[in-house]
Parts: sequence; structure tokens; C-alpha cells
Amino acid sequence: MLEIKTLSKHFGGVKAVDNLDLQVERGEIMGLIGPNGSGKSTLVNLVCGVLKPTSGEVIFEGNPMAGQVPCARLRHGIARTFQNIRLFGGLTVWQNLWVARNSTEDIRSQNILRRWLGSGTTLKREIETMLEFSNLADKADVLASNLAFGEQRRLELARAVAAKPRLLLLDEPAAGMNQAEVAELEQRIRSLREQGITILLVEHVMQLVMGVTDRITVLNFGSKIAEGSPNDIQENTAVQEAYLGHSD
Amino acid sequence: MEDFWYEFVEVTQTISDGLLFGSTYALIGVGFTLIFGAMGKLNMAYAAAALGGAYAGLAGFVLIKAPLVLVFGISAVAAAVLGYAIYFACFRFIPINNHLAALMASVGGLFFIDEVVVHVTRGSPLTFPSMFGDVFFEIGPYGIRGDLIFVFVIGLISTGILLYILFKTRLGLATRAVAQQDVAARLCGIGVHSTNSVTFAIAGVLGGIAGAMTAAAVGVLSPVMTVPLTIKGIIVAVIGGLGSIPGAIIAGLFVGGFENVFLYFRGIDERDMYVVALLFLFLVFRPNGLFGTAITRD
Amino acid sequence: MDYYLNLINTIGIHTLLGLSAYLLILTGQVSMAQAGFFGIGAYTAAILTVIFEWSILSAIGAAMLVSGGVAFLVGFPALRVRGLMLVVATIAFSEFARMFFYNLKWRVVRDGAEIGPDGTMGFAEIRYFNDNGWLNWEVTIFLWVFVAVVMALIWWSDKTRIGAVLRAVGEDELAADSTGINVTVVKIAAMTAGGVVAGLAGSLYAHQVTDLDHHTFTVLLATFAIAYPILGGLSNVFGTLIAVLFIQGLLVEGLRFLGDWRMLLFGALIILAMNIKPLGLFDNQTIRILRNALGVKRRSGSV
Repeated sequence: MLEIKTLSKHFGGVKAVDNLDLQVERGEIMGLIGPNGSGKSTLVNLVCGVLKPTSGEVIFEGNPMAGQVPCARLRHGIARTFQNIRLFGGLTVWQNLWVARNSTEDIRSQNILRRWLGSGTTLKREIETMLEFSNLADKADVLASNLAFGEQRRLELARAVAAKPRLLLLDEPAAGMNQAEVAELEQRIRSLREQGITILLVEHVMQLVMGVTDRITVLNFGSKIAEGSPNDIQENTAVQEAYLGHSD
Repeated sequence: MEDFWYEFVEVTQTISDGLLFGSTYALIGVGFTLIFGAMGKLNMAYAAAALGGAYAGLAGFVLIKAPLVLVFGISAVAAAVLGYAIYFACFRFIPINNHLAALMASVGGLFFIDEVVVHVTRGSPLTFPSMFGDVFFEIGPYGIRGDLIFVFVIGLISTGILLYILFKTRLGLATRAVAQQDVAARLCGIGVHSTNSVTFAIAGVLGGIAGAMTAAAVGVLSPVMTVPLTIKGIIVAVIGGLGSIPGAIIAGLFVGGFENVFLYFRGIDERDMYVVALLFLFLVFRPNGLFGTAITRD
Repeated sequence: MDYYLNLINTIGIHTLLGLSAYLLILTGQVSMAQAGFFGIGAYTAAILTVIFEWSILSAIGAAMLVSGGVAFLVGFPALRVRGLMLVVATIAFSEFARMFFYNLKWRVVRDGAEIGPDGTMGFAEIRYFNDNGWLNWEVTIFLWVFVAVVMALIWWSDKTRIGAVLRAVGEDELAADSTGINVTVVKIAAMTAGGVVAGLAGSLYAHQVTDLDHHTFTVLLATFAIAYPILGGLSNVFGTLIAVLFIQGLLVEGLRFLGDWRMLLFGALIILAMNIKPLGLFDNQTIRILRNALGVKRRSGSV
């Protein structure tokens, strides 16, 4: 579904992503791990269109994504969450989801006036369902900036899902969570997969990565050093070295 | 052929006169760019403070018959004081990432200074003494005005001193540190507020000199000069690249020459339109100006 | 009586001016171009009624289209500059417009007299209301109908998805882009709408003062335009209206007895206001507190 071909991103002399090849199959949950600075966030930004590659291609469902801005890629079906939450703080929880429903097929097929108004019972029910799913139903009118940290994370995820993506990139969604919250997140990710969403999970929290992913890719210094099932990766010496260093 | 040669001489004469006068724009531009470089903010009251300083210098001339050098000195000092006052009133207490409030406050400062000047002078323009006004060099078909040369030389000296301060003194080092990383600078014990107020004062000195220079070159000091000077200063700082001192200098000279050429071809009414259009072109095609660092601040 | 009507008219026109800036600031674009659009609206409407003898409504409509069209064009280069640089660019635009009108000479002889914009002498004899027998209070009502309609439109759109989308763009463009909002379209639309409203204000202004002078369309006016929404806060349109009432009513007119010193006071007051309440006089907190105190419940989907 997602094909990354010889993708490179150089910032001056730094090769943040270096000739990377990666495939994500439809319906799978792919984990992306690697030490800090290995290029994970850069990769997410490249796939979503926030950054332009120095060379190489991002191909989604057979369509090259070159030159497409993030909102265009969203229309193709790629959504993402941000590592450091970027909610619209001055808007309420409801409004955050409301604006995210801007570019899905069903919305865009409506006439302009209905789009602008954003009213209609179907839309209302859909947003209410999403709020239920994220345990935020009673916070609908709260300003996003007034939410607790865990609630903000849930809203961030809900907002990305609100756009009805087919591919969802999660950028360290478990950062700062305790074990119970991670377990909850794991459940949520599973049910997203059941809804038919393919997921690329960038994460440091191993409990989540090992528990929920089908396959894992490991990056170091911008290139792939290993790829395989969670078990394989745990046994892989190159991966251990990347994280822990040599023992000479 | 005669006519063409005549035109050619006239135009290059115009350009060179403009370049010399452009040194005043260069200084004002440097002032704007210094403050933007240090704080990421635009001080809309800057040119007003500069002219205020020039008025103070003029007062020195009128009241105590100060010699021209002293007039410039008084202008510089007065503008520095005004600069510090503006920093205190409009920038010091406003949260550092609220660029808008600081901008509005400095606009308030602009109105305030302008009004004070209008009241004190009752709105009428005053003559400003010029040095070497009657000196005139002739080199072949070209004539070079002595007062313009004087103004240009002062500009050179001021810039030289400024660069010396910035790059060879601890004060300058602190200023540059604060400009680049104010949190880290604070952790190193550099007082951000005191450094910034000094930056404003230094910019003020430049501004006072520039104000006096403008007045000396034009021969007149009037409150209606404030807004055009503000706009030209901003244009120069932007074209040169906000935050870049060499950029502001070159841009100032360039705008001076450019402006004079348009004055020659299209007259005074349309002249300013072209300068503004020039700004627009730069903003659209080269928003970082000639030498600017990438503008990531909002 | 006429004095007060004049004041009410000025408040109305400045409210429109403030609202045009309000739309833009919501999307994060601080624009000093409103003075330029104002001037374009003023001159266009005046030229249409004076030289081409159009009726007032068509003239206003055409003026709104023209200034909106120019605003649309300005919107594109405006995308390439951010923050303070946009302020600079829009100042440049407004100055350009002002100088353009300063040089505009279009004299036409009618009934033995010369009329039309006269370059540096300004544009006098915009006598539509007089010539057509409008009473002063009728002009005031006419003007304020427009103000009320615009305020209502903006208030209403704030409650729909438009309002939320505008604010989302203003808050965080990257997040908005990543959430599927076409930031380009939103920003240009806001600029165009702002241009239309400012043009409306200008066309009403031209006929109210009957005499246009390029000195009106300066950076000072543009500063007023953005001062209103900034001082009034961005939560809703009434903040802007109150800011206009405050600044125009109290300061400029009520303190007239201070004579020439009022500009001094104005400058000092701006400085004071910015230092004490940098978010505007009616920021979210104030509104929320008022709402709680008055017991107004909020439904889902409204601000």
C-alpha cells in the first residue's frame, strides 16, 4: 500500500534519511523503531508531505505523492498524529474533530453551503461516535488546551482518525504514558485496524511496539538495519548494538 | 550623440548623488535590522526616535550655537535615550513571543513622539544647518556635492564604529549571543534585558546620526518626515535581509540611488511608488532579502 | 445633533474596517492592507457615482467587487510572507495605493463644472447623498444596516465550521494542513473577504465625508484597522465593536477638549494597553467569565 523507494533527505551535510526502501502492506500494523536521531520523525514528515525529499519517492496505493502538500495527501488517505501534540488549543474538542472532517469524500461531495455550515445529523452522530470511542464524550465543549495530557493524546488520535484515512502514521503516541494508558492505546490501535486502517507506528515504548505490531523496521542513522517480526527483531544483534552499543 | 552623452552624465550623476544620500537610509536600515536581529521584532518607533534626536541636536544649534560636530553628538545621544525609553515602554514588559503587542506598542510610541515634536515645533519645518553646503567638487562632467560627501563619510565612520563594537567588544559579543539564543545567553549569565536595552541604545545612536544626516542633506527638519523615513528604513532593512548589517548597508545605498533615478525620470510624486513597488518585488521573489538568514520567526 | 450623527457614522465605518482586519487576523494574517482596500473602495464608489452617475447601491456593490478583486490578487503574494514580513508587505501595498490615488487625475466637465479626482488636490464634490435628498439620519441608518448585516454574517459564520476552520489555520498552519484544511484557500478567502468589507467601508466613507484626501488612507488608518480586533480580542465580533466605541467615542471625540494633545494620549494609551493586557480587552477568559456569570449555556459546535 505504501511504497518508499530509495528515499533520502539531507539537511546540509546530515543524512537524516539515507536511501531508504520500505513497504507497508494493506491492513498491517508496521512498527518503526530506532535510536534517537535515526530518522523516524523525518520519515513520517516525508511520507506526509511536510518535508520534500532530496531524492527518492513515496508511492501510496500506486500513486506517486511527489509535490503533494499534506492536505492533499490527506485526501488520498494518509493521516498522522504529531509527536508533540498539535491540537487547536483555542478550539473545543468538538471543533477539533469538526474541522478534521473537512476533506473526506462524503463531505466533499456535499454542496458548498453544507460544507461550510458543517451541520447535519449524520455528521453530528459521527463525531459523537468518535468522541465515545476516545472516551471524550463528556468533554465535547472543553477547550483542547484545557484537557489533561492523556485526554489530549486521545484527541490527537481521534482527530487523525476523523479524516477517515486508509493509512495512519502515529508518531510516538505512547510517549509519557503509564502502563495502563499504553494498554488502552494498544486496544485502540487494534480496533482501528479492525476498522480497516493500515498503521505505521513510530514508537520508543517497546511494550506497545512488541505487543501490537505485525512487522517491525529498525532504522539507524537514516537507513534500515533490520526488518522482521517482533520476535526476530528482539533477537537481532545489529539492533541490539544500535541501541546498546558494542561490548568490546 | 551629444544628447545621449548628456543624458548618460545626468543619470550617473543622479545615481551617485543618490548613493551618497543613500548612506542615511543605510544607517536607518541598520538600526531596524539590529533590533530585528536581536529581538525578532520590528520597532516602528525607531525612525521617530531618530528624528527626535535630530530635533534635539537642532535645539543645541539654535540655543547654544553648537558646532556641527556637537549637533551630531547631541542627536546621537538624544536618540539613544529615546531608543532606551521606547525599549522600556514598548518592549521590555511584553511577553517575548507576543510580537504583535510589541509592534502595536511601538506604533503607539511612534504617534507619541511624533505628536510631541509637532507640538514643540508647532508643526512648521525648521532649517537644519548643513556643513560644506557650498562645497562642490568637479570631476570632468560630474559635480559632487560636498555636503553629500560629508554625510557619506559620517555614515562610513559610524558603521565602522558599530562593527567594531559588535565584533571586538564584550558588549557586542553579548548582543550577538542574545540575538542568536536568548535562553542560552541568559543561562550564561548575560542579562537579556540589559543587553537588549543597550542594543536599542546603540541603534538609537545610529538613528540619531542618520536623522541628523538626513536633515543636513535636505536642509530641513519637519515632522512629516517621520512616516516616510520609517517606511524607507523598513524597506531597506527588508531588502537587505532582516538581521543582516551588510545587507542593510548595501540596500540603503541601492535604494538611495534607485530612488533618485526615479526622481529624475518620473518626478517626486511617483518616486515613492517605485520604491514601494521594489519592496513588493523583493518580498515576493526574494523574501529573505539580499543577505538575510531564513526567516523562520513568525 | 449632526455632530453626534457624524460620530455614529464614523463608529460604523470604523467597525467595518475593524471587522475586515478581524477576519484576517483570525487566520493569522496581520494585514495593514485594509487602508489600501478602504481607499480603493472609496475612490471606486465615488468615481462611479460622480463621473458615471450610478446609483449608490450599485456603486457600493461595484466598489466591493473591485476591492475584493484586488484583495484576492494581494492574497497570493501574501502567502509567501509570514508574520512581521506580512505586516511590512501590506504596509507597502497600502502606501502604494495611497500614492496611486495621490496621483490620480480624472477630471470630467459636467454642467459647466469640473468634477472628479484631481490628483494631489484630492477628490471633492462627492455629493450623492445631498443631491438625492438624503437626510442625515437616513444616511446613518443606511450605513448601519450594512454594519449590522456584516456583523451578523461574521457572528453566524463563527458558529459554523467556517469559523472553526479560520481559527484552526490561525492557530497552527501545519496542523491545519495535516488535518486536511487547504490553508491556501482559507487564507486567500480571508484576504478577499477582508478586502470586500474594507471596500464597503470605504465606499460608505467617501459618500459620508463628500471629500477624499489621500492623507486619510495612511498607515495610521491601517493601524486603527488592526488595533480594533487586537484590542477587542478575537473571541467574537462584539469585541471589535466595543474597541471601536472605546477608541473613537472616548478618545478621539470625547477627549477633543484636550485639543491637540489627544494624539499624545492615544499613543500613550496604546502603549499602556499593550503592556497590561497583551491579549486584548476581551480575551477568552473574560468571555468565559461573563458567560458563567450570566448563565449562558453553550451547545456543541459553537464557540
